[in-house]
Amino acid sequence: MKVRSLVVIAALSGLSLLADSSNSVLIRNVMVHPVTSPDIANGSVLVIDGKIAQVGPKVGAKGVARVIDGHGLQLYPGLINAATNVGLSEISSLRDTVDLDEVGLFNPDLRAEIAYNPSSEHIGVTRGAGITAVISLPGSGGRGFGRNGPGSVITGQGTLMHLDGWTWEEAAVKPSAVMDMLFPEIETVPRRYAAFLPGRPRPYQELEKDYRERLQQLSEFFEDARRYEKAKAAAGPDFRGDVRLEAMIPVIDGKLPLFVRAEREPMIKDAVAFADKEKVKIIIADPREIGSTGPLLKEHNIPVVLGKTFQLPMRDDDPYDAPYTLPNEFYKAGVKICFGTFDVEFARNVPFEAAQAVAFGLPHDEALKALTINSADILGAGDQLGSIQPGKIADLILTDGDPMQAKTNIKQMFIAGRGVSLESRHTREYEKWIRRP
Amino acid sequence: MKFRLLIVAAVLLPFGRIEAAAPSAIAIKDAHVVTVSGPDMPKATILLRDGLIQDVGPGIAIPADAWAIEGAGLTVYPGFINGLSTWGITARESQPSRESATDQRTPAPRIHGPEDRPQTYSFERAADLLTPDDGRLEAARSAGFTTSATFPNRGIFEGLGAMVDLAGERGRDMVIAQPIGQQIAFRMGSGGMGRSFPSSLMGNIAYVRQLFLDLDQYRAAKMIYDAHTEGNRRPEYDHELEGLAESPRILLPAEEAQQIDRILRFGRELKTPFVVYGLHEAYRRVEELKQANVPVLISLKWPEKPKDGDPHEGPDYRELQMREQAPAVPGMLAKAGVKFGFYSDGVDSAADLHKALKKAIDAGLSRADALRALTLDVAGIYGLSDRLGSIQKGKIANLVVTKGDIFGNKDAVEYVFIDGKQFQPAKEGGR
Amino acid sequence: MQQVFSFTCLIGMMAILSPAETTLIRNATVLTVTKGTVPNGRVLIENGKIAAIGKNVSAPADATVVDAAGKYLMPGIIDCHSHTAIEGGVNEGTVSDSSMVNINDVIDPYDVNIYRALAGGLTVSNVLHGSANAIGGQTVVIKLRWGKTAPEMLFEGAKPGIKFALGENPKRQGYPTQSFFSRGPALERRYPGTRMGVEEVIRESFTEAKNYQATWKKYNDRIARGEHPIPPRRDLRLEPLVEVLEGKRYVHAHCYRSDEILMLIRVADQMGFKIRTFQHALEGYKVAKEIAAHGAGVSTFSDWWGYKIEAYDATPYNAAILMRKGVMVSLNSDSDELQRHLNLEAAKTMRYGGLSETEALAMVTINPAKQLGIDDKVGSIEVGKSADLVLFDKHPLDTFSKPLKVWIDGHEYFDRDKDLEKRPEFERRKKALEDKLNAAANAGAKQGKPGAH
Repeated sequence: MKVRSLVVIAALSGLSLLADSSNSVLIRNVMVHPVTSPDIANGSVLVIDGKIAQVGPKVGAKGVARVIDGHGLQLYPGLINAATNVGLSEISSLRDTVDLDEVGLFNPDLRAEIAYNPSSEHIGVTRGAGITAVISLPGSGGRGFGRNGPGSVITGQGTLMHLDGWTWEEAAVKPSAVMDMLFPEIETVPRRYAAFLPGRPRPYQELEKDYRERLQQLSEFFEDARRYEKAKAAAGPDFRGDVRLEAMIPVIDGKLPLFVRAEREPMIKDAVAFADKEKVKIIIADPREIGSTGPLLKEHNIPVVLGKTFQLPMRDDDPYDAPYTLPNEFYKAGVKICFGTFDVEFARNVPFEAAQAVAFGLPHDEALKALTINSADILGAGDQLGSIQPGKIADLILTDGDPMQAKTNIKQMFIAGRGVSLESRHTREYEKWIRRP
Repeated sequence: MKFRLLIVAAVLLPFGRIEAAAPSAIAIKDAHVVTVSGPDMPKATILLRDGLIQDVGPGIAIPADAWAIEGAGLTVYPGFINGLSTWGITARESQPSRESATDQRTPAPRIHGPEDRPQTYSFERAADLLTPDDGRLEAARSAGFTTSATFPNRGIFEGLGAMVDLAGERGRDMVIAQPIGQQIAFRMGSGGMGRSFPSSLMGNIAYVRQLFLDLDQYRAAKMIYDAHTEGNRRPEYDHELEGLAESPRILLPAEEAQQIDRILRFGRELKTPFVVYGLHEAYRRVEELKQANVPVLISLKWPEKPKDGDPHEGPDYRELQMREQAPAVPGMLAKAGVKFGFYSDGVDSAADLHKALKKAIDAGLSRADALRALTLDVAGIYGLSDRLGSIQKGKIANLVVTKGDIFGNKDAVEYVFIDGKQFQPAKEGGR
Repeated sequence: MQQVFSFTCLIGMMAILSPAETTLIRNATVLTVTKGTVPNGRVLIENGKIAAIGKNVSAPADATVVDAAGKYLMPGIIDCHSHTAIEGGVNEGTVSDSSMVNINDVIDPYDVNIYRALAGGLTVSNVLHGSANAIGGQTVVIKLRWGKTAPEMLFEGAKPGIKFALGENPKRQGYPTQSFFSRGPALERRYPGTRMGVEEVIRESFTEAKNYQATWKKYNDRIARGEHPIPPRRDLRLEPLVEVLEGKRYVHAHCYRSDEILMLIRVADQMGFKIRTFQHALEGYKVAKEIAAHGAGVSTFSDWWGYKIEAYDATPYNAAILMRKGVMVSLNSDSDELQRHLNLEAAKTMRYGGLSETEALAMVTINPAKQLGIDDKVGSIEVGKSADLVLFDKHPLDTFSKPLKVWIDGHEYFDRDKDLEKRPEFERRKKALEDKLNAAANAGAKQGKPGAH
């Protein structure tokens, strides 16, 4: 690979598209995978001011500040992990380093964005796999058997972050991208785990009653938000602001999607029914089975953020490959899918989660879309991220192969047109200790 | 349903001396006698005296002092024997046998290893804990049970069992034989992360193994010391090992197929006579059980759909198979010639006991085999077939008298005899 | 479908798989791992062993022929760190030294994870006790012979091991905390609560083991002299440690930080035993030299990190650094999930450290075989070794690949097509059984009129 910088005299570049010649990059002679349109062999991509300016078989280099020869390499849009806790959790077993799962049942006004630590080591590590943007969620999604008392139902606003930026403000792409929510669940304990938990498992009837109560509370909370919105619009003299209800307005207006974590079929159905009733936009997150929900989701145009493909089947009798085939099942049902890992340590493995789905039936191109444009679309950033198209933010990765292949190396990364280091805590340890005499 | 001591002598004696009212002998005449040990006797007389079967057969002369009972239309069986239960031992103050979160509020000293002899009650005797006041005895008698192999039920080494009558004035009167064995249970808390050793299955196994090694050493030490006192330090007296040494056999738990495999290997390793209890998945291991030639006790608590389960999460196929096939185990073992008995495993009401036995018969166990398993065979498992389990001259007079087939309907039992004393169920609506 | 498989297997559990059949796999790309790659190759299986490998191998007329055109054959995958198929708790975590317990006692051959792992190409597992105590339980190597009994799954002749654990896990019960399982009051503390305590437990136990050895020697000497001493008490906790001292049992030590790895090497030196493998050893790369000098192997994760403080210095380059510094390295699963795709874990070493394909495959085949002392029998495709083989649709280091067939000892234990084929029948059977039981239960409920009890 050849990288050379050209110092161009501004005066000579009169015909260039460049507004500021020092802020342009041309990657040429590269296999371009725009994702939303056919691949371009020996193509070029011009980036100006952090945006993709031109894509095509041939783009003039005249006046471009930096030209990268991508001979033998592949150019993809940066990958997106649509569900992580990057920036909010450093060492998951040490509570002091974790900012997830705030106290309280309904916390719609919490903003993950502001707790995103731009110095987290996970940012560099995650970039290493070609990931340029993530959703960082304020909840861990952890329910856990035998949990004492209720956890949060609405955990706060998930944020779409670039994995680069001196501050969280600079890193934010879409500060409030989703409203993270753990849909209430009837948490029965599988027989085989019952022996490991303190106390007796609670009878189903009792759990179901709790569940109904929780749903009722949820409905009431939404009702409160509507009343609040109305009162606010009326702007009477006695109107008093409320941060929690205020934060619900984009949700009840259908502008901010509820990011609803629902694992099993009955929960998914209940979640869809709930969204229907409340007339809100939802995304189903981390489902573990499709059951009969495919047509329902398709009909309601509800997308799905898949969790890890590398999971054990939920039940002993399930096919061994049930989690592997799940992404394809949603795809075949006509549901728009993307991938998340719902964690922080393994956020970088999202391309491999998609790859395993490909091994078990998901078309390769669909997997790639799921990792890029679908994520962007689902997260409401389809006009900004997810493909190599003029006008989009220039999040690009230059690789020596398919980013879903483990042996592929990510050679260079651009986030909003900026060349970003692929060093991380991990490469630094390597560089340091390989030299130990 | 209630059972009460039949006041046979009420006419002759004032109230308040019921116990003394028993006649010196009772003759049940012209009944259909199912001896179990031999062919049925369609019309025979059974003579009971001093708690024993003095004689049985057609045309036996009824002595003058005997109280005669008309047996025509009745069937007499040997009393049923529960192969393993706590019948006769009522709930008592004891440390919880299973760890749970709630137990952690009352911490006991942490157990550091086998040397602390955790959960060993090998020395406790069922015979010392018996009471005739246990409410379950009445229900058991209504279902035709007269006898039980009763064991204490706490800890891993649960103590010394006794074969007991299900009636008596005092606990000590109930004892037929003791000790008849040592029940071993595996106690697991929090999947190996409990407070006290052992809390995993492997910990339980290692612990039992260690105690048996200790027993070997204890015996050897005593023997060597007795022969060579000089230069040897006297072996220490060991309460727990004494209890274990006294056990003529041990009872080991195994419910599922792999547990049966495991326990058959383990039992052989311990080099002590053993009986396996549980066996609901034994339909997968009939041949192995036959080869092993180990007697078994089958739980009457058949696996069933839980009442408070999640309707969206059905059982797995193996569990379903177990629900279907567990009741067929007795029939399969009978055909294979494996010696087995039944045990109540918490099924205590007369109706439920009847239903559970009926389920095994419906699933392929012949009535004759069922009867043997409930009487002579289970007595044999405990080495007591010389005194219990059949209607034979000289045996203990524990009998059931029914109208029709004992498995026919749940109200078939007319009365039972225990140690020659007659008990009658109070009918529906009675006391 | 695993349960269909179990169902059919259970009918004649002992009877099946009696004489091994002769099988010829042809037209496969044969990844031998130790002897290069044979494109368009053939592998002949006879009597459970690999009988021939090459381009021109002929088979007897009655041999089963598997055409593997376009497919890849590799040795069965070996996992040096597993907790699969353990019944009744992975840990005996109540004591600082639980060497008296033995995984061999509690293998559950019905654990469906065995089949799921097989379907991922795994054929051998080193099944370990958990890491809750400084000295954990005895361990056992199994072959994933799904459908067989626990004793039949044992890897014949594999040396048994014992689990040690250093660092956070064994000391966790030594300081006030709320465990995952206990939401109640903090647990009573148990020793040790520091790395110093962990080291002390190991030294103390081995000192006791040596005393125990001496006691028995003294006793045997007295017997030899014709005296009549009382035998000492046998101690199941100390006996495996004596075996470690005598080289009859491998030590597999769970560890993370470099200091504790070095500590254990020094304790082992002092006590006179060897560490066979450091397990996880996420900071192994910092003391690669010392590990290599001790002669220990390292069995690590491909890319786990950051989930606890002792994993914060982890790097996925660990395997590469250790390998380049002369340590025998394998990648393990430690998980019922991860054990289903160790080939893909191995593939990551190509990205993290630039391992060659063969080096990467060795991480989950011949290297763990060497660490477990079974490399004379398994771990590569070589004539005379057990026919433990996996057929992949693509190169096993390709993340789009999946196993199609798995053989152990020449017997087919997994076949994806057959698995797929059996699913509808299984569903039908299960549904029918469920309906039957429900119908019986409903009939029973009708019979049981109120007042009947």
